[in-house]
Amino acid sequence: MAILYVRAAPTTDLNRNTEWFTYPGVWSTYILILFFSWLMVLSVFACSPGMAWTVVHLSHFFVTYQFFHWKKGTPFAEDQGIYNRLTWWEQIDSGQQLTRNRKFLTVVPIVLYLIASHTTDYQHPMLFFNTVAVFVLVVAKFPHMHKVRIFGINADQ
Amino acid sequence: MITIPYITALTTYFSYGLLFAFGQLRDFFRKIFDWWSKSSLQGYAPICLGLEDFYVRRLYLRIQDCFNRPISSSPDAWFDLVERISNDNNKTLKRTTKVKRCLNLGSYNYLGFAAADEYCTPRAIETLKNFAPSSCSTRVDGGTTTLHVELEKCVANFLGKEAAIVFGMGYATNSAILPVLMGKGRLIISDSLNHNSIVNGARGSGATIRVFQHNTPSHLEKVLREQIAEGQPRTHRPWKKIMVVVEGIYSMEGELCQLPEIAYVYLDEAHSIGAVGKTGRGVCELLGVDTADVDIMMGTFTKSFGSCGGYIAGSKELIQYLKYTCPAHLYATSISPPAAEQIISSIKVVNGEDGSSRGAQKLAKIRENSNFFRSELQKMGFEVLGDNDSPVMPIMLYNPAKIPAFSRECLKRNVAVVTVAFPATPLLLARARICISAAHSREDLVKALEVISEVGDMVGIKYFPAEPEKQQLEGDRVKLE
Repeated sequence: MAILYVRAAPTTDLNRNTEWFTYPGVWSTYILILFFSWLMVLSVFACSPGMAWTVVHLSHFFVTYQFFHWKKGTPFAEDQGIYNRLTWWEQIDSGQQLTRNRKFLTVVPIVLYLIASHTTDYQHPMLFFNTVAVFVLVVAKFPHMHKVRIFGINADQ
Repeated sequence: MITIPYITALTTYFSYGLLFAFGQLRDFFRKIFDWWSKSSLQGYAPICLGLEDFYVRRLYLRIQDCFNRPISSSPDAWFDLVERISNDNNKTLKRTTKVKRCLNLGSYNYLGFAAADEYCTPRAIETLKNFAPSSCSTRVDGGTTTLHVELEKCVANFLGKEAAIVFGMGYATNSAILPVLMGKGRLIISDSLNHNSIVNGARGSGATIRVFQHNTPSHLEKVLREQIAEGQPRTHRPWKKIMVVVEGIYSMEGELCQLPEIAYVYLDEAHSIGAVGKTGRGVCELLGVDTADVDIMMGTFTKSFGSCGGYIAGSKELIQYLKYTCPAHLYATSISPPAAEQIISSIKVVNGEDGSSRGAQKLAKIRENSNFFRSELQKMGFEVLGDNDSPVMPIMLYNPAKIPAFSRECLKRNVAVVTVAFPATPLLLARARICISAAHSREDLVKALEVISEVGDMVGIKYFPAEPEKQQLEGDRVKLE
């Protein structure tokens, strides 16, 4: 069986918290994790596929909101706190907007939303929750929202 | 360029994700427990801000026994490793009195000067008796002895430069020199994989820093053109000074930099001086670059000369300027006299001035050892980084679970290796770094190869198909972007 190899070119990103996202294989891993969590939800709860997609979509919303847009700084102290005011989303690609990684990460919740709403046949109340989730996530990823803290939520002291 | 099997990349990300998720879960429960139990630390500010220590607490501490292993002998080819035990699942480690004799594949002992040497050690002891262990003073006050003057002349001659200046600590050399040479309005262009000392020195200098892709002269050219055209960040005035900082051998990669294609260079030869090149003069000699072309050569004495300290070599005017301005020269204690004597003696041995050919033998041995080891490892199917002739060879592990597995299994078989993971290396690219020394004999290397091969099979890091007796190209390779 042929082994597939990929080339990993070293990046110029100095921020260790975000440079792992520039290596090959990340996008596929992300999509595969979402797919396998859908299978897990289906097997654990034995619900309909639509409900499972809704559960996946909403938990994806909570997890990515927490780690991309809420938690600030980096999980290690070697960079001496220069990123302490920036969320992970604001750190990737050194703050450049509209790069490939950012576009991919914006598309994923939208696609999840479409799958979730389609498989639940656009019924209430799932549709409402799904829409709120995708709305919040996509607005948080707009270029205009870079370093914006609405009403001072999550701002520093 | 590192070539990873695609499945390995996917599984590595997944493993890190799992470790991260478990760490977050445990932190969540810890927060609940702490909220319940009364804390006696009311009114104290927290030591760590936010999640700063997450990586150390939840990932590093789990495999803590693979790092920071104490030794109780000199770091020669074989050394004594102190065993440690842990009663609380690696949160704390206690030293035992048991000691294990292990093969040393982790020390930067390139020329074998780390252990007692027949020429250097008696002289160092003599100097210890005559001059005392510390000079107890800065260079400008009372810390310049005849040894220091001789040492600087010796280093300058060895490198073929006009003059040299010597400091007590290698890390401090970089972090104290870069702020002196560069300041506001100047530009430092540094390789993306430069050592922490360079990064700290560059940040401390106040100059603007731009990074270019590791060992890619075309990207360096692009960055240079862009920066020269744009000028300083907001005023767009031309830069007052531009300097390119590269290293001779990158300690985590084992690669040589592409020196012939770069100019206006500050070359950090911490790992390469003494170890590469026909007469041990570093990458300049190896790559055929005239030392007059490199503006500033920096190096340390810790790796090949078995001592401590760092040096800067350059033109007479440069060194004179540094002697007036560099804080490490004006305020830091000068290099310890026995250490200086060790360097002088080891340089004499390398040059052959001690009357024997041991220097030339050592240089030939380390080149032979490195090439033999690297080619054997590659034949077995490991992914080994680093160019030919480089004594540093990282073996790629990738998966976070393989790091402690490799380290512990090798230790069980009496081979001590150094494993490196995030954040010293990129997340995906965890590795075990092997440093070959001239003190390793052929039997040592063969034993090491056997052990590594056995452990490699157990752990599953032979990512390339092993080559049979005949030379043949590595197996099917499909390149994905």
